[in-house]
Amino acid sequence: MYEVVVGIEVHVELKSNSKVFSHSQNEYSNEPNIYVNEIDLGMPGVLPVLNKKVIEMALQASLALNCKINKVMHFDRKNYFYPDLPKGYQITEQDTPIGYDGYIDIGDKKIGIERLHIEEDTCKSIHGKTGTMLNANRAGVPLIEIVSKPDMRSPEDAVAYLTKLREILLYLGISDVKIEEGSMRCDCNVSLHKPGTPFGTKIEIKNIGSINNVGEAIKYEIKRQSEILDREGFIKHEETRRLDDKTMTTILMRVKETGNDYRYFPEPDIPYVEISDDWINEVKANMPVFADELKEKYEALGINSNNLKTIISRLDLVEFLESVIDSCDPIIASNLLTGDILSYLNKNYVSINKIKLNSDNFVELVNNIKEDKVSSKQAKEIIPYLCENGGTLADAISKLGIEEINDISAIKDIIKKVLDSNPESIKDFKEGKDRAIKYLMGQVMKESKGKVNPKTANDLLMSLIREY
Amino acid sequence: MTKYLDLSIKEINELLKDKKIKPIDLVNEAFERIEASDLNAFITLNKEEAIKEALELENKEIDNILFGIPVAIKDNIVTKGLRTTAASHILDDFNPIYDAEVIKKIKDKHMIIVGKTNMDEFAMGSTGETSYFGNTLNPWDKKMVPGGSSSGSAASVGARLVPIALGTDTGGSIRQPSSFCGVVGLKPTYGRVSRYGLIAFASSLDQIGPITRNVYENALMLNVIAGQDDKDMTSSYEEVKDYTCLIGEDVKGMKIAIPKFYMSETIDKEVRDKVENVTKILKDKGCTVDYVDMKYVSSAIPLYQVIALGEASSNLARYDGVRYGYVTKDFKDINELYKMTRYEGFGREVKRRLMIGSYILSGKNADKYYRKALIVRKKLTDEFKSILSKYDLIIGPTNTNVAYPIGTKLDDALKSFYDDLLTIPVNMAGLPAMSLPIGFKNGLPVGMHIIGNYFSEEEIYKLGSFVEKELNLNLDPRGDK
Repeated sequence: MYEVVVGIEVHVELKSNSKVFSHSQNEYSNEPNIYVNEIDLGMPGVLPVLNKKVIEMALQASLALNCKINKVMHFDRKNYFYPDLPKGYQITEQDTPIGYDGYIDIGDKKIGIERLHIEEDTCKSIHGKTGTMLNANRAGVPLIEIVSKPDMRSPEDAVAYLTKLREILLYLGISDVKIEEGSMRCDCNVSLHKPGTPFGTKIEIKNIGSINNVGEAIKYEIKRQSEILDREGFIKHEETRRLDDKTMTTILMRVKETGNDYRYFPEPDIPYVEISDDWINEVKANMPVFADELKEKYEALGINSNNLKTIISRLDLVEFLESVIDSCDPIIASNLLTGDILSYLNKNYVSINKIKLNSDNFVELVNNIKEDKVSSKQAKEIIPYLCENGGTLADAISKLGIEEINDISAIKDIIKKVLDSNPESIKDFKEGKDRAIKYLMGQVMKESKGKVNPKTANDLLMSLIREY
Repeated sequence: MTKYLDLSIKEINELLKDKKIKPIDLVNEAFERIEASDLNAFITLNKEEAIKEALELENKEIDNILFGIPVAIKDNIVTKGLRTTAASHILDDFNPIYDAEVIKKIKDKHMIIVGKTNMDEFAMGSTGETSYFGNTLNPWDKKMVPGGSSSGSAASVGARLVPIALGTDTGGSIRQPSSFCGVVGLKPTYGRVSRYGLIAFASSLDQIGPITRNVYENALMLNVIAGQDDKDMTSSYEEVKDYTCLIGEDVKGMKIAIPKFYMSETIDKEVRDKVENVTKILKDKGCTVDYVDMKYVSSAIPLYQVIALGEASSNLARYDGVRYGYVTKDFKDINELYKMTRYEGFGREVKRRLMIGSYILSGKNADKYYRKALIVRKKLTDEFKSILSKYDLIIGPTNTNVAYPIGTKLDDALKSFYDDLLTIPVNMAGLPAMSLPIGFKNGLPVGMHIIGNYFSEEEIYKLGSFVEKELNLNLDPRGDK
């Protein structure tokens, strides 16, 4: 029986305001070449200026992944020719990755992190009918590359590792970590061997489109490589392959040539960077609360596991819930967030901090629901309104025209009217048929257009019916 | 024909202030001289723009001593909208979209850029002969090389076409041509002047510096271009001084070292004699002059070939025909585009150096050569530091000899590096150094090298101006004024 050995390289785009070596904005745009200056284009005479914020983000990631820190680090040039590489070299950290020798806990085991280093992204090539075009908006966008040790032994390990890694980076707030949008990219090295023998020949699967597909790619490779090993006893060449996500099979891109020569040498345009213990301690002291801790907290508050999962996977919901959790009922709050509010967010492709609903009107709403002053039916109308327009709860209710009738005598009048026109039901009630009340309540709600509080109306109905 | 450009900057400034002349008079005179010259010192003239600027200056207050002074810029310093070629076919139609930091500083002082000077291609050479635009001639003898790579900058100041030019120095490219052309050239401390906008040859060695007719005006120009720049992380926060501050001060008590290597048999006898002559004067005036041993200074050329060419092979990778510059006409695929663009776009010397540089950084060679070179470089630097902890300045000849005939060293790759035997060690250590004319051999100028401690350019100027005054040489190749 073969054992699978998996190592994963992940590239993550950091969301700093500006690029790693220039003042150009670090933004995504559908319009090409607008966030670009002479440095990004590798014009003659330009020099890189290191963005300190990027170092800090990489330091956060290194510490969150339990890495040791290279306190004196320098950048290196990786030299190769490719059209998407404006300077003919990429600035990276070959010799002194900012973080090294860390690990991620995936529950039952630890997966080692070999290294975490900073580098710059390249232009994006757009292949058209008339030729290849370059979009330099991406050139110089800061990346961290995180290289795992070959510690994973199953597709499940790999999926768990990536899920956990993504979650940690998400909680640090340093990246969008969206694989679909390219802000997180996974390359996977898969080999098979018999336990106790040396590792087999590595096959690399490049740029896999989702975490689940990483699992699928590994499953396919186990099958494919086992067959070759059974038939031939060994795998001849290291290869680079890609996953075809329609058939869930991997396709050969190229056989790897031995020893790419990148002619690395220390980048002379950037002085050595020193990372002080003070800086490290400061970053450590400002670490955010991570998902594991939040899970425990939310469970203890009685939030159900489905809601909990949904909230934990979205940092904007976490931040929002954290801002209101001490001022209102957490269970109602979590229901609203994962229900109507999330549908609104998904429908409009926005995050919660970009809409008009805020912690004030949200808390007001939750508290009113808790005190039965707002019905769930009203809430269904109020939420989209607040998301869209903001304002106070009272405003929303009045604008929507769904205010409750609170005047007891007015409610009594409605009930009396209903009772007067339904003698049959009164008779039924007196004969002990409980469903008569349900019917009458329905009529009350209909008569009031749903504007009476059901609980108040019910209480009044019960006392009034006895007077008949 | 007017002769304002034969006056000192100070005198010109007085005339401007007294409204006896206008900036346009200076610009017109500069172009008359340049157009009448056959030295091939310029690649691109900025005539239209320069005249326009000079006229605009007539309405401006004369706020500094360099106001309205024509200046020539080596063609590896980028100028927005003004063709910048690095004397290479690969950039021969390249119009930069931004100004180098030094250009911004020059414009802030209302100096007028008259043109871009000829040079060795990508500053690779020491004769001016590797230029795609043909070689520059020496103003003292047109059969002789002007030195390089800042050939046109040194020749144009030497020939009095302009009073001031900027050059760049990676292994001697300001000092060696200054020495050959009889002008004053300073390579500032590494980090003193921003490299932003200097087309990189070897990033850890390159530095921009002034080339002038005399020491005082050199210091004036350094005042303009020195200073920290946020766009160059290797530029220094060390405070900028008034570099003229010690000019005219007594040199009595100055401690001066001469490395024995700088006065060895390799150096021409007459050149050594000229330095000895200065030594005698200095001793007479109360300076201490000692000969000192330097162990690592002789490693400078191999160090240079490893470090400078290694860095160059990476710095010049961007000229690939994809984004700007020369592109080959026919190509089947991307690899052929690269190969043919670079084959046709670069000259022989550049290609030779890029191949050596690529080889040096390849695979295990990086450890064998590059990393080892960094260690030796550190030792050489420490050696200089140790001497400069005991002495104020180091002196010696700038070159092993005076200018030689055009064509003699072009096909000897190694020999041309030996022109920089005495200048390269200074770049390796990042120190400031100047070449100062101290006499003639067969009618050709001899240069003396004055090396200072980090960020003490004013000490170099102090000694330089003293020697200049003592020798009182006629440095105008056109003969007596």
